[in-house]
Amino acid sequence: MYRILSGSRSLSSGILAAVFLPVLLFVLFCAPRAYAAPPTFTVGWSVYAGWNPYFYMARSGILKKWADKYGIVIKVQRFDYAASLDAFVAKNIDACTMTNMEALDMPAAAGVDSTSIIIGDYSNGNDAVLARNNLSLSQLPGKPILLVQKTVSEYLLERAMVMNGLEGQLPKLKLLNTSDSDIVGAYLGNKGNQVAVTWKPLVSEILSQDSGVKPLFDSSKIPGEILDLLVVRSEVLNRPDGSGAKFAKAITGAWYETVAQLTGSGPDTAKALSGSAAASNDTVASYKEQLKTTFLFSSSQSAAKFATDAALKQKMDLVRQFCFRHALLGQNIKSVDDVAILYPDGSVQGKKERVRLRMDATYMQMAAQGKL
Amino acid sequence: MNTAFHPADLAGIQVRPSRLWTQSLGWILFAVGIALYAQFSIARHKENPEDRVVPSAQQLIQGIKSAALESAEEDDPVDANAPLIERFSHSMLWKDTLSSSKRFLIALVLLIPAILLGLHMAVFPYFGALCLRFVTFFDKIVALSLLPILFIVFGIEEWSKIALMVIGVAPTLILDTFNIAKGVPREQIVKAFTLKSSDIDVTYRIVLKQVLPQIINSVRLNLKPLALFLFAGEMIAATDGLAYRIALMRRHMGMDIILPYVLWVALLLFLADAILRFTNRRLHPWYQPL
Repeated sequence: MYRILSGSRSLSSGILAAVFLPVLLFVLFCAPRAYAAPPTFTVGWSVYAGWNPYFYMARSGILKKWADKYGIVIKVQRFDYAASLDAFVAKNIDACTMTNMEALDMPAAAGVDSTSIIIGDYSNGNDAVLARNNLSLSQLPGKPILLVQKTVSEYLLERAMVMNGLEGQLPKLKLLNTSDSDIVGAYLGNKGNQVAVTWKPLVSEILSQDSGVKPLFDSSKIPGEILDLLVVRSEVLNRPDGSGAKFAKAITGAWYETVAQLTGSGPDTAKALSGSAAASNDTVASYKEQLKTTFLFSSSQSAAKFATDAALKQKMDLVRQFCFRHALLGQNIKSVDDVAILYPDGSVQGKKERVRLRMDATYMQMAAQGKL
Repeated sequence: MNTAFHPADLAGIQVRPSRLWTQSLGWILFAVGIALYAQFSIARHKENPEDRVVPSAQQLIQGIKSAALESAEEDDPVDANAPLIERFSHSMLWKDTLSSSKRFLIALVLLIPAILLGLHMAVFPYFGALCLRFVTFFDKIVALSLLPILFIVFGIEEWSKIALMVIGVAPTLILDTFNIAKGVPREQIVKAFTLKSSDIDVTYRIVLKQVLPQIINSVRLNLKPLALFLFAGEMIAATDGLAYRIALMRRHMGMDIILPYVLWVALLLFLADAILRFTNRRLHPWYQPL
């Protein structure tokens, strides 16, 4: 009897909760909307030497200083890399760090018009082809190669083969799609796995644990081809109220202040280094080692110059041809020109009416001219 | 007797819906699901005609075509005018299905010793005492966390994936078999011994024989965990397989391929389950679960 009573009591309190909880939530979440909140923007980033500074930038208050200057709010959120791209394409976040390759094959190819506003760095040795037993590139066909397929790792491998005149051997490569979370254990755990293509800090982990492994090729031989960008959805950037442009100015300003601290020699440098290393739970020494093979554009001038240089088009062309060859632009894209790229000088690579990725140097140039 | 339908019947316990009702009610939630998807997809395509997150019917059909009729990227291209069967046999869907099924079936076969182990644990007290505590402990190990060790022991190719499936599912199956076999009334075993049965007779002809239908049902319930472990293994390291393709397609939001693959996997699992259910009914017509 008692149990029945208590049961019905908890049931009625359950009904009470069911009625009042939504009301409470409604009040909690809707009340603040009554005030005119400043426009809020969310930036997604993932762990990588060239992107860790976003973490320090938000922690140190540099970002808030710039956001306040433009009267907006900028939130910075860490994601897994793949999840950050999903969130960006699903329009859950406004800006996201990504490589030039993913900028093409994820948002741009999915019809989400995207604009790259900051070219942060390029991989200058961060990505590497590793092999045991002093193998050479020409001996790779037939051997299982561990890598995350359809990423810059596969791009690097193809470039290595092509640059060494082994283009004809490409179809004979035996690729083994291996998740980045397990590639180190899988490669080191079994001597039969002779070749792996991956990125830092995984490369450093492998090299430090097995002295028999040698890098065969790395991204320093293809400088400026694997770019790390900050990409904003074009519709956000071009919001009619101008808040998107304010966001771009604020984050660009904050970025170059952060990078100046990071690459400078002042008292703030140590703080910036340890703050960025903390973003990936790395030691400062390990993070410095990663930065050595990351060509960080230390000034807005150098980044703007790189973005407006004609050589960028050739490099992007290599990447977009790779994406098209591997059907990364979509199964039903019949021509590489269907996902077109707009460059700062106004020229378009591909069909003019199908521009999906815009390499924008405006904000980097404004930073260079001190107009932010 | 057929009485007129009354709205209050919908919430009644004592009602017997007509055949027409039970048949049509079963499809309503499917229709709702499809309608919700279509609405979501149309809304997204209105905003962005090239949306790939929620593909439209047209994109899905295109995706199914390229999955089932065009040769896989790593394969030689097949003539577009070849007969459908030949095109299908060169398609990525077929090749992935073959390699995944192979792993799945090998793992299923390797689960037979696990069932026998559970049976022996239940029947032979000393053996049970030896194994039970360890298996109970091992059952609580999250198999996925052992993956780096599996890679080292079994290499990165086929056997590590099969080992993952077997290690993930076997302890549960052993314990389930143990419990089911323990449920056989003691009197039956005593009776068998009084009729001059040997230990082996009792194990295989008394206990196993009557618990087998329940064990097959247990295997049916474990098909999904088995598929889950197969997918986990294929997503982490593979050169082919259904989950390998899904992992690759995820790299560029190829939802037009992923969704048909997901439905195909569901169909395959349904078929595997139906085959086991059918076999069970044919082999053990006397077994009538409640």
